[in-house]
Amino acid sequence: MRLMSLVRPAVLIAGLWLALMGGLPAEALDVPPLTGRIVDLAGVLPPAVAEQLSADLQAHEAKTSNQVAVLIVPSLEGEPLFDLSHRVATTWKLGRKGTDNGALLLIAIKDRKVRVEVGYGLEGVLTDARSAQIIRNEIVPRFRTGDFPGGITAGVQAILKTIEGTYSAPERPATSSPSSDPFGNVVFAVILGVVIGLLLSRMHRLLGPVAAGGLSFLAAPWVVPALFAGAVSVALVSLLSALGQGGGSGRGRSGSPFDGTWFSTQNGGWGSGGIGGSFGGSGGFSGGGGDFGGGGASGDW
Amino acid sequence: MVTSVTRLMGAILLLTGVLTLSGCGYNDLQGLEEDTKAAWSEVINQYQRRADLIPNLVNTVKGYAAHEKETLENVVQARAKATSIQVTPELLRDEGAFKKFQEAQQGLSSALGRLLAVAENYPNLKADQNFRDLQSQLEGTENRITVARKRYIDKVAEFNKMVRYFPTNLTAKFLLHMEEKPNFTVADEKAVAKPPEVKF
Repeated sequence: MRLMSLVRPAVLIAGLWLALMGGLPAEALDVPPLTGRIVDLAGVLPPAVAEQLSADLQAHEAKTSNQVAVLIVPSLEGEPLFDLSHRVATTWKLGRKGTDNGALLLIAIKDRKVRVEVGYGLEGVLTDARSAQIIRNEIVPRFRTGDFPGGITAGVQAILKTIEGTYSAPERPATSSPSSDPFGNVVFAVILGVVIGLLLSRMHRLLGPVAAGGLSFLAAPWVVPALFAGAVSVALVSLLSALGQGGGSGRGRSGSPFDGTWFSTQNGGWGSGGIGGSFGGSGGFSGGGGDFGGGGASGDW
Repeated sequence: MVTSVTRLMGAILLLTGVLTLSGCGYNDLQGLEEDTKAAWSEVINQYQRRADLIPNLVNTVKGYAAHEKETLENVVQARAKATSIQVTPELLRDEGAFKKFQEAQQGLSSALGRLLAVAENYPNLKADQNFRDLQSQLEGTENRITVARKRYIDKVAEFNKMVRYFPTNLTAKFLLHMEEKPNFTVADEKAVAKPPEVKF
C-alpha cells in the first residue's frame, strides 16, 4: 500500500514531464520522413499520378543527378511557409553534396500556399524569377480550379525542363577526393609520424615518440583524428623503438613500419566509419547531401 | 627489461600529454574562426545582392508611380546609407560599428517594405513582368539573408562558447588573442524575419 502511494505520484510526475517535453517542439511542424520523391500527406494525388510523377523524377535524377521532391501537407499549422520549406529541404538534403542540385516543391492545401525551394547549385537556372513564373503560370491557375494533380504535374514538368542540362549524372556515385578524406589523412599522418619518429628514436629514445606524436597530430585534419593519429604514432614509435633496441634484432626494426601501417589502417577505418555514407539504403530514395540557402519563390492561390 | 617498462611508462605519459594538449582547442578555435568569417561573408554577400537589386526596382516603380517621390527617395537614401558602411573584418570586432551596420540594413528593410506596400495600389505596376521578377528576386534575397544570418548566428554562438569555456578560454585569450564576436540580437532578428509582404 505504501509502495503504491509512492509509485502513483512518481508516475504522475513522469507523465507530466513527458507531456511537457513532448509538448515543446510541437510549435513547429515535424519534418515528415522522406518516404519517396512524392510525399503526399494531404492525399490530393491519385496513386497513378503520384507513381507517374515519381517515375519522371527518378528518370530525371538518373540522367542529370538533380534531386527533385514534392511535399504536400494539409496545413502549415501556423508556421511560415519559408521556414517549413527550408527546414524540410535541408533536412532531406536534396541534391548531391557539393553540387547542391536539389529542389523541393511544397504545397500547403489549407493555407493555399505553394513554394519552390531551390538548392544552391540550381539557383543559377531555376532563379527566383523563374520559380515565381512557374508558380504563377503553371501551378496557380490549375490550383484555382481545384485541379491539384494537374497543377503539381505541370509545375514539376516546368521545373524539370528548366533545370535539365545543368548537371549530368556521374558514372559512379561521387566519391570524395583524397585531399578531403579524413581517413586517408589520418593514415598519412600516422605513417609520416611513425617513419620520422623511428628515425629520430635512434638519436634519442624520447625524441622519437615525441616527434612522431607531434608530427601526426599536426598533419592530421581536425582535432579528434589528429589526437587519434598522434596517440597511435606515439604508442607505435615507443613500442617499436623499445622492441628494436631491447630485443636488438634487425628483423624487428625493418618489419615494424609495415606493421605500423597495417595497424593504423585498421583503426583509421573504424574511426572514420561514422562520417561518410550520405546515400542511404539500397533501392529507397534519400537525399544526397545538398544544401539550400533560401533561393526559390512562394505564391498563393 | 626494466628499460622497456620505463619506456612504456614514458609512452603512456606522452600520450596523456598529447591528449591534454589537444584539449586546449587551438585547432578548433582556428577552424571555428574561419567558419564564422565564411558565414559572415555570406551575410554580406546577400545584403549586397539586395542593394544591387534596388536601382532597378526603383526605376521600374518610377515608371508607374512617379509621384510616390517620398517613398522612392527614402529607399534610395536608405540604400546609400547601407552601402556606405565599409564592411571589413574589423567590423566584427567593433561592437558599435556592427550595430551601426545592422541599423542601416534594417532601415533599408523598412524603406523597401513601404515601397512594396505602396506598389499594391498600382495594378498596372503589379502586372508588369519586370516588376514581378524583381519582386520575386527581392523576396528570395530576403530569404537568403535570413538563412545566412541564421547560419552566422549559430557559428558565432559556437565560437563564443569556446572562447568562454574552460580551458579553451585560456588558449583564446593568451595564445590566440581572440575575443567574443558580436552577434545579431533577437530584437533585430524579429525585424528581419518579417519579410516584406509580397502578393501575387
